[in-house]
Amino acid sequence: MSQPSSPTYPRFRVGARVEHAILMVSFTILALTGLPQKYVQAPISVALIDLLGGIEQVRIIHRAAAFLLVVGTVYHLLTSAYRFFVKHERMQMLPTFQDARDLWDTIRYNLGLIPRPPRMAKFNFGEKMEYWAVVWGTAIMVMTGFILWNPIASTAVLPGQVIPAALTAHGAEAVLAVLSILIWHFYNVHLKHFNPSMFSGRLPRHQMEEEHALELARLEAGGHPWPELSLPVLRRRRQIFIVLSVIVGGLMLAGLVWAFTFEETAITTIPRVTREIFVPLGTPAP
Amino acid sequence: MSPENGKSPVSWTAVTVCIVALFGLAAWVLWPGPVIATAAPPAQTTHPPTDLACRLCHGDSTGAVEFPSGESLPVQIDLAALDASAHGRQAETPLECRSCHQPADNFHVPHAPVTAADLRTFQIEQSANCTRCHQQPHLTIHPGPESEAPVVCTDCHGSHNVLKAETWRTGEGVATCANCHVERGVELNNADELKTLIQHGLFSSDRINNDFCLACHGLPGRTLTFANGDSKSSTIEAGALHDSVHGVNNSWQSLECTDCHENYTFPHEPVKAASLREYSLERYLLCARCHEDKYELTLDSTHGKALDEGNMEAAVCTDCHGAHDTPPPAEPRERISHTCQKCHSTIFDEYATSVHGEALLSESNPDVPTCIECHGVHNISDPTTNLFRIRSPQLCAGCHADGELMAEYEISTDVFETYVDDFHGTTVTLFEQQDPTVETNKAVCYDCHGVHNIHQPDDPQAGIKANLLATCQQCHPDASENFPDAWTSHFRPSLEHNPLVFLVDQFYVVFVPSVVGFLTLLVLTDVYRRLRVRAQAMRSKQ
Repeated sequence: MSQPSSPTYPRFRVGARVEHAILMVSFTILALTGLPQKYVQAPISVALIDLLGGIEQVRIIHRAAAFLLVVGTVYHLLTSAYRFFVKHERMQMLPTFQDARDLWDTIRYNLGLIPRPPRMAKFNFGEKMEYWAVVWGTAIMVMTGFILWNPIASTAVLPGQVIPAALTAHGAEAVLAVLSILIWHFYNVHLKHFNPSMFSGRLPRHQMEEEHALELARLEAGGHPWPELSLPVLRRRRQIFIVLSVIVGGLMLAGLVWAFTFEETAITTIPRVTREIFVPLGTPAP
Repeated sequence: MSPENGKSPVSWTAVTVCIVALFGLAAWVLWPGPVIATAAPPAQTTHPPTDLACRLCHGDSTGAVEFPSGESLPVQIDLAALDASAHGRQAETPLECRSCHQPADNFHVPHAPVTAADLRTFQIEQSANCTRCHQQPHLTIHPGPESEAPVVCTDCHGSHNVLKAETWRTGEGVATCANCHVERGVELNNADELKTLIQHGLFSSDRINNDFCLACHGLPGRTLTFANGDSKSSTIEAGALHDSVHGVNNSWQSLECTDCHENYTFPHEPVKAASLREYSLERYLLCARCHEDKYELTLDSTHGKALDEGNMEAAVCTDCHGAHDTPPPAEPRERISHTCQKCHSTIFDEYATSVHGEALLSESNPDVPTCIECHGVHNISDPTTNLFRIRSPQLCAGCHADGELMAEYEISTDVFETYVDDFHGTTVTLFEQQDPTVETNKAVCYDCHGVHNIHQPDDPQAGIKANLLATCQQCHPDASENFPDAWTSHFRPSLEHNPLVFLVDQFYVVFVPSVVGFLTLLVLTDVYRRLRVRAQAMRSKQ
């Protein structure tokens, strides 16, 4: 892992790492069970579907993973709210003008047009891009996924064409998400160097220097990795939050379960029609 | 008829006979009516009868012998038949008229009056002449002249048109027997002996041909009765037989009756089958002797299985193809569906009103499916299985994905691929690939379009477009009015059809490559920098 000589710096708390794990597992399962459904003619899709126990089984797994993804999303919303309302942390993920400049400078630096890379804060433009891509992607996938899962309910209020449109969007968005992960995420945290922070919570110094120079400087200047609050204040806000989060979280979970068991889309068995087939003609045909 | 036909050399005798004959003719013309006794040419009354003289009168005469019983016998002889007969001029040993008509004195002109009291006595008397040459008459099984109702030579062999020996090996000979024993119902009084005679002499089995059988079976009203009271006509329509695929009137190899009905002895062994159906089920196996490939296909068919399970009604070869009147099964094409109609009449009625059935029945359309295009011919599979259901889209695709065929009817060939691309079709295709015997609730073509009663989609009454919601609700009972639009109606999305889908798709067609391209470029610049830095480091090391 990290070189023993190199000091590491705190980057992610346990909550964030758990969120990442949920997302990683659910995303992988969704991709593995979803893409074969989109590219169903490909031999590898057929093999994968066979391996997973058939298309109906694949759909069940896909929906279970979708449930996990949405639970993870709810969890993220709650922890974000906790950090924002209880701990009064800044919303560091919001894109800023500086991000655009960092992007521009990074490109110029990569091309050798400027001598030094931009010095970036705790979350650089690349990570923000990825975060918001996940937000956008999850929103689209959850919405279109709900529509596809509940076509009867959806068409009770929406025009019928929304269903195939949702299917198109769901599939295209999936391709976009998987390609982004493969190209951008895998390159940045696996290929160019292994970034252990999502597992260990800490990042070695050379990676901090390269990607989060400003944050490194802040930490080395004695800054706390996360805002510190006095315990009484924290305790009071926490009490309110717990009550609210139980209510909101409970409602969201209930809504989720409701949405996932929303409708009986189709009958499960095509009814057998019995009919008399041996009805001989009175007179032979001409 | 005319004297020139005679072979006798021209001589004074002949000239004289001609003159006599002319007188005779004149007498007939002037005094019509009973002739033999009264027509009396004045001169040459003791001239011995010659063939020429006999033929001159008997070749063309309306006269008749009158018997005291009131019966009469026309005196005209069919000279052509006489000449062609076993005793005729074309025979090896021709006979003259007087060879049989003896004593010659009785046949001077004018002939002595006939002494027999009635026709039958006359026939019996005359047939005694045969024994002068044929001293060992066969078939003594027939009652002889001593009996009250004798059967005499001429009864079977004829008098002037005596059949040649070889003719007796044909149906014509048998027809003679059938004349009494079938048509007039005279019972065989010693069938066992007859059998030996038949097998060793007459009609020996290797010489039997169709006419032989048709001699009896061509006669109307023949029936075969079974133990349970069923009866079946055993009259064979000679015309239908000859026109059938096995008959002589077509280009295929024709069959003899005995090719199927072998080892038949006469009189026939009584039929052992207890019922007509049992008989059919025994007999149809004969088809397998030549059509073994087809027969084996039927063994796995739904009919074959039903038969195995004891359903006696299950169709066998002859139920569809007929037994003796087997027509070409697909000519005209609608015969195919009419054949199935014989047992599946209600399904046929549905089919007949469908877009396929109408075209077949009204115009013998060569492109629409008859029953067998979907169900198969001999290996007709059970259409109620999951396997049949799951494979059925490919059945439809066989025609509906065929561009050349569909172009003629301006039907889109996208139907199959758009189905496969859609949720229902995708699922069914996957089931088909994985295990086609597993049940799926996803729709196949016929769940929406109908099975036998398939109509044009835009038929105002029965078409699927007019009944789309109801069609969806068969499987999606809660579907509301908007729901059917979720189905893209086999159209590939375009601005005209399913524009929302088209636009979403177009958005991603631009959006996905843009994002992925941007990310890739960013990665590439990073790769470029790293390679550059590494190269610099190596250079500085050196």
